[in-house]
Formats: sequence, structure tokens, C-alpha cells
Amino acid sequence: MHYLFALILSISFFATSAHASNNDACGNNTDCIEVGRWDIGIALGYGVKSNPLKDFDDIPIYAVPTIAYYGDSWFFDNGNIGYTVTEGENYTVNVVSTFSTDRAFFYRWDPSNIFLVNGHSAARSNISIMAAIPEPEIDTSKLEDRSFTYLGGVEAFLYTRFGIVKASVTHDLFNVHNGTEAQLKWLYNIPLDSWNFEFAAVLDWKSEQVVDYYYGIRPSESPYWSEKYQAESALNQSIEFTGQYVLTENWNILLVARYTDLADEIVDSPLLDKDYTTTYFVGAAYRF
Amino acid sequence: MLSIAKKSCLWFLFYSAFSGYAVAEELEPLTASLSLSPTICITSEDEETCNTEVVLTWELLQNRSICIMSDYKGLKKWCNNSPAVNSLAINISADQDIQFVMIDKDTHETLAGVKLKVTQASSPQVRRRYRNPWSLF
Repeated sequence: MHYLFALILSISFFATSAHASNNDACGNNTDCIEVGRWDIGIALGYGVKSNPLKDFDDIPIYAVPTIAYYGDSWFFDNGNIGYTVTEGENYTVNVVSTFSTDRAFFYRWDPSNIFLVNGHSAARSNISIMAAIPEPEIDTSKLEDRSFTYLGGVEAFLYTRFGIVKASVTHDLFNVHNGTEAQLKWLYNIPLDSWNFEFAAVLDWKSEQVVDYYYGIRPSESPYWSEKYQAESALNQSIEFTGQYVLTENWNILLVARYTDLADEIVDSPLLDKDYTTTYFVGAAYRF
Repeated sequence: MLSIAKKSCLWFLFYSAFSGYAVAEELEPLTASLSLSPTICITSEDEETCNTEVVLTWELLQNRSICIMSDYKGLKKWCNNSPAVNSLAINISADQDIQFVMIDKDTHETLAGVKLKVTQASSPQVRRRYRNPWSLF
């Protein structure tokens, strides 16, 4: 939590000095997108997404794609599909579908891990920590499926002089876990010459059903732990940073970092051995 | 001494006489015409400058020497010394409209005029993007 406060304090300082350049809704090329034209790009470089799951490897990142298309009202943005219900100078309300990022820790080819090269990313490590745990160990190679699902709901943006506030509530659309997620996000852009810095602080709430589906233990996996660990709703806290340096019209240098403090309700799961997850990526991005 | 009312009346009559003369001039058949092709140059979205070749063509009912003048820096004044020549091709590079005027070389009388309109292609419509392109999902 202290990370969040530190970020908010530091960004608030920047906010007062950088406000003038943030007034324009389309002030820099990362804020707006051309209607009716596909925006396709790929970033090549190196990064790692740490995996908080016990016995699962961290996920290396070598390439990150971006694909988006915005019509007059509909939009597709990196797997998210939405429809803008209403929009004004200072607000936007969208009906939106998105997907949970939790499954990505379990499966190599989850959408959140697309283009992550390395066959055993998100795969189980051979290192056993069995001896360190006095309680029955869970054989992670025999975990049941954690299926992919889409979430649908509503999101709203508020554009203020102190940055953008996003609030969203989404619910499982395919009865996979019947859970609900909510997000409160605050982000702030600071364009400085050829640089653009984006800071974000995020609160991610996941209902008990979501936590139980991904991090809960099923009786077939471990009768002991299925009784002992009882999932509850959880609130993750994240801070994000994206830095872009414009080299040419098509090429950018890209720096991305994210730190997520996982909620105690999730960390309590015997599937986890870390209470946080980090992601970083450094590379060159090309927009076609 | 004429009163103010009488002065005003005289000015009105004097002005009316000249106005009538001007109308009579406009009603005379045109003795020269000047045309331009193309008349509009649309610049691309990326470039603000129009780069193209335009052709000026003129017709004269009387044999006379003419000059073409413009407010384009590359063609301040060009004069035609041969009656057989009745067109002029010019490569232009401009970011604003260009006015061409044809004048009588000897009398400097304005015979005709034409304008090249330089206009930018409409800017693409943009809207807010709701996701960071590189948010790593």
C-alpha cells in the first residue's frame, strides 16, 4: 500500500507542473486513435512477468503486440471489445468486454501471455519446495483447468485536470466462475518533448467467485487444502509506468513497468508463494 | 457659395456618371480569357505543400502582347513575346492560394485573372483511445 501512496504523492507533484500540457484531449499520439483505421504495432525487446504461483516459472517477454480498431462508437482494443454509450468533453461511458489476467499465471497461451516466447513460460518448475511446507503439498501438475472467460460490464472515464479516473465493473459472461471484477484506476500522462510518461495507480477488486476459481483448491486437487483455504473477495493494488520516446513516426523506445501487490486473500492460497507480481519490459516499438 | 445640400447633390451626380461608365465597361465583350488547369491542388495529410505543374492558357481576341503576373514567388512576371504562344506550364510548390493575372504588356491593363486554390486534405477523424497500447494487457 505504501507504494501506492508514494506514487500518488509523486504524481500529484508532477500533476501541478504538467497540467498545462495535458489539457488537450488528443494532446499526444498515445491519447487518441484515428477512427476507422487499424492500429497495429509490435514491440520487440526483453522483459519478465513474475509469476506468483508456486512451482510456476516467470514469464519472459520478447514481443508485445498491439492491435486496435475504433469505429464511431464500437472499438476493439487488444482483446477488449466495447461500445461507447455516451461521451463528453470530460467523461466517457462504455459498455465493454474484457478478460481476467489471473489465468495468465497458469497457462502459456492465455491472451495475457500472447507472443511471450519460451516454451516453458508459465510452466511448472522442477524445483520442489515440498520439504519447506509442513502441510500436504499440492501437485501443481494435476491442477484442474482454469478456463478462459470474457467479462462484460460498464466502464466510465472521468477526465480531470489531475489525470484520468477510470471505474469499471464487469461480470463473467460465460458462466465460467460467475464472478465479478471491479477496477478503479487513476492515470496521468506527462508529455515532455519527445517523451511521454504515463503513470497509473490501480485498485482491482475480484469477487469471491473469481478468487476461488483461479486460486481456490478443488477437492480433486487436494481435499485438505480445499477445506483449509476458503477464498474471499480480494483487492489487488498496482502501480504502472509506461515511458515512450519517439524516435521516428513509426519507431518508439518503450519502457513498461508494473508492480502489483496481491491481496492477502489471494496470497493465502497454497498455490502462491509470493505476495506480489512484477512486470517490466524494455524494447523498441514499431507502429505500422 | 454653394450650400452643403447642393455640394452633396453634385457629388452624387458626379459619382453616378462614373458608375454608369463602369457598368458600360463591364458590359463590353471580353477581349481576353485566362484559364488554369488544375484549379485546385489538394495536399496530402502529411504534407502541407502543394507540389504540382499547372498550365495557364489564354485566348485573345486582339493581337497584343501580354504578361502573366502572380503572387507566387516563382513567377512574379512572365511576358509573352510571341503571339503564337498561348499557354504556360509552371511547376509550383505552394502552401497557399496563388492568384494569376494577365495584363496587357504595353498598357498594363488587366485583361483576366484566375486563382489556384491550395487546400489541405481534411484531417482524419480521431477519438479517445481507452487503453494504453502497451499496457501488457
